[in-house]
Amino acid sequence: MDLSYPPEAEEFRAELCTWLAANIPAAWTVPGFWATVGEDEAFDLRRDWERRKALAGFAGIDWPVEYGGRGGTPAMRAIHDSELVRAHAPRSVNSLGLVFLAPTVMAVGTPRQKVEIIGPMLRNEVIWCQGFSEPGAGSDLAALRTHGVLDGDEYVVNGQKVWTTFAGRGDRIFTMVRTEPGSSRHRGLSLLLIDMGVPGAQVRPIRQMSGVSEFGEVFFTDVRVPASQCLGGIGNGWATAMLLLSFERGAAGISQYTAYVQAYDEIVRVARALGRDGDPVLRQELARRRVELECLHYQAMHVLTEVERGHDLGAASSVTKLQWSQAYQGLFETFDELLGAEVALLRPTVDLDLTALRQESFWTRSVTIWGGSSQVQRTIVAERVLGLPRGS
Amino acid sequence: MYFALTDEQRALAETVRALLADRFDLRAVRAVVDDERGDGHPADLWRAIGEQGWLSVCVPQEHGGLGLGLLDAQVIAREFGAGVVPGPWAATVLAGAAVRRDGSPEQAAAVLGPLGVGELVSTVALRGPGGGFGPGGIAVRADAAGRLDGAASGVEYAHVADVIVVAATEPNPPGVDAGGGSGRGSGGGVGLYLLERGEAGVRIERQAGIDGTTRLAALTLTGAPAARLPGSDAAALADLLRRGAVLAAADLVGVARAALARTVAYDTERVQFGRPVGSFQALAHHLADLHVAVTMAEHAVLYAAHALDENRPDADLAVAVAKSKANQAAGDATAAMVQYHGGIGYTWEHDTHFFYKRAKRLIAAFGDSRQHLEQIARLTVDTVS
Repeated sequence: MDLSYPPEAEEFRAELCTWLAANIPAAWTVPGFWATVGEDEAFDLRRDWERRKALAGFAGIDWPVEYGGRGGTPAMRAIHDSELVRAHAPRSVNSLGLVFLAPTVMAVGTPRQKVEIIGPMLRNEVIWCQGFSEPGAGSDLAALRTHGVLDGDEYVVNGQKVWTTFAGRGDRIFTMVRTEPGSSRHRGLSLLLIDMGVPGAQVRPIRQMSGVSEFGEVFFTDVRVPASQCLGGIGNGWATAMLLLSFERGAAGISQYTAYVQAYDEIVRVARALGRDGDPVLRQELARRRVELECLHYQAMHVLTEVERGHDLGAASSVTKLQWSQAYQGLFETFDELLGAEVALLRPTVDLDLTALRQESFWTRSVTIWGGSSQVQRTIVAERVLGLPRGS
Repeated sequence: MYFALTDEQRALAETVRALLADRFDLRAVRAVVDDERGDGHPADLWRAIGEQGWLSVCVPQEHGGLGLGLLDAQVIAREFGAGVVPGPWAATVLAGAAVRRDGSPEQAAAVLGPLGVGELVSTVALRGPGGGFGPGGIAVRADAAGRLDGAASGVEYAHVADVIVVAATEPNPPGVDAGGGSGRGSGGGVGLYLLERGEAGVRIERQAGIDGTTRLAALTLTGAPAARLPGSDAAALADLLRRGAVLAAADLVGVARAALARTVAYDTERVQFGRPVGSFQALAHHLADLHVAVTMAEHAVLYAAHALDENRPDADLAVAVAKSKANQAAGDATAAMVQYHGGIGYTWEHDTHFFYKRAKRLIAAFGDSRQHLEQIARLTVDTVS
């Protein structure tokens, strides 16, 4: 065991923290700030701030320098993510592009795609959406029906995607399309790159139970996509998608831990404001949640260890997903519980505005669904880790 | 960043596992469990363990030990848990830790060597009847001359121990005066004493227990002469309890991992409704959740052992997290082991109850979940500004 980071990673941390201290407005560090800003304004603030961060050299931390990255290590990436949380920096508006699409382009993209996609993404000139899920294809992605028919050197795409993050604000979408007529399941699929602004692409926001609309539906009606706008080869979409999804946020647990401990502290302050932090039952409940957060931290450090040694994470990412999503969701179940009857109110007292925590509490209901539901993850762990026989 | 066992530690685990498979498998465990009148101490195994140095894993090399840390000790504890191995191994490691930390050079020389090779069986007596783990649970008093009066309960293998480290309250703590110059800080009021077998005023009686893999005994002391460990104080007791909690948690994690693996193996073979029962999602998903919980508990024990070895500032939190997570994982995994073996899992004939009962005992040892969770609340709720 050695939980220290190498000196160059600590130097990087110091440099980053100096930049963050000078570039995050004090108002942003007030808990609940983002709940007070309109969604449009918040998106623009976040997009612009992230762009400035990239121009200052704090983006693509563990990407090769040739792609505009910093050429750093996974540990530096974990430090970057964690320090952003600690400094109350806004979350990325381009994470699906940065986390999943960019490394896939680096691995299987054409030279031209590498130039056209990666740089503009890094500078937030192009915000990327992901178009995988469909109304009939959620956990069962291979059931997708959006299809493209070749007409000259263009595909004519028709279909519908759903749960697309930032659908109404993104510039482009990487999306799974059935390009071989009559194919089924994992065959005949392609990963197409489509401009959101082209004729025939239409977006409808989905209002979530929290009241905000980060997700949307995307409708394609006779959208014409040049055949060159395919990543990983026509008909090779399933393999490309699996490669793309394998770029898990390996050690993201370290920054998640930092964020959830911030939430834990906020929840403790609420309990104190309501005079409930001395309640022995609630203390036990809070402590039980804290145990799971600490375990998430250990798991994240273990995963970082594996990533840094180039080990294949395999089904371990399912263990991480189950742990972080359930720990996070559980923490907010305890938040709801300790409010007692005040759970019904957004502002139980003049000094206590729970709007942001309330939104986060609703948000946690989604985290055990997206990115592979808990049920899908359990099946993966049962079959691939424990080696239990497959269900019929 | 390296959060994992080293190759050497993995090799140690492999060696312990191989020796136990060869010398002390579940049939041997069953023989100990069923021999209810026997002392429950596998003497042959102890010689082998002593030869390997596993009794002195944390004893400094100058006293013939391996000179390793708690992180290495927990490797052994996990394998002993996985094999539900009888015997005072953890008790010996703890007694050695107390003597090493708080004993005089003479005491260390007299005890640590023989303890390490298995010539001297030792244990720790830290709580009285009905008492918890902590200063408030002690029911032994020491007088100024080092004579002990009172009782200790649930002492592992006291009936075969040559030396027992006894925690005692000290109405007039030696060295504490108005000047407070003893360097003991807030530690006055508790001391650790070395009690030898056969001293006058010592009565040891076996206690019937639920966990046949571990024998317990009660200690009744009436003016029993004992030697104080000169460096001991309340902080020494706290240190011993932390180490005990980590070793118990490690044993629990071993129990939990073995319970899960054995259940998976059984449910892969067992056919009902024309298919292996392990293919039913109701079982498979619960077993997957248990894998996550056991994995987290393994990490937590690793971290806690490392935190104590390195004196990390969050060691207290780490220990409380490790013990409460191990309690939960082992409690759930062993209950699932009984349930998912069906009727056979409820029989004496099957091995399930060894795991279930050992977990039951250890979950309450060195602080139950309630105690550790309240400690976590003190450290993470009361400290938020």
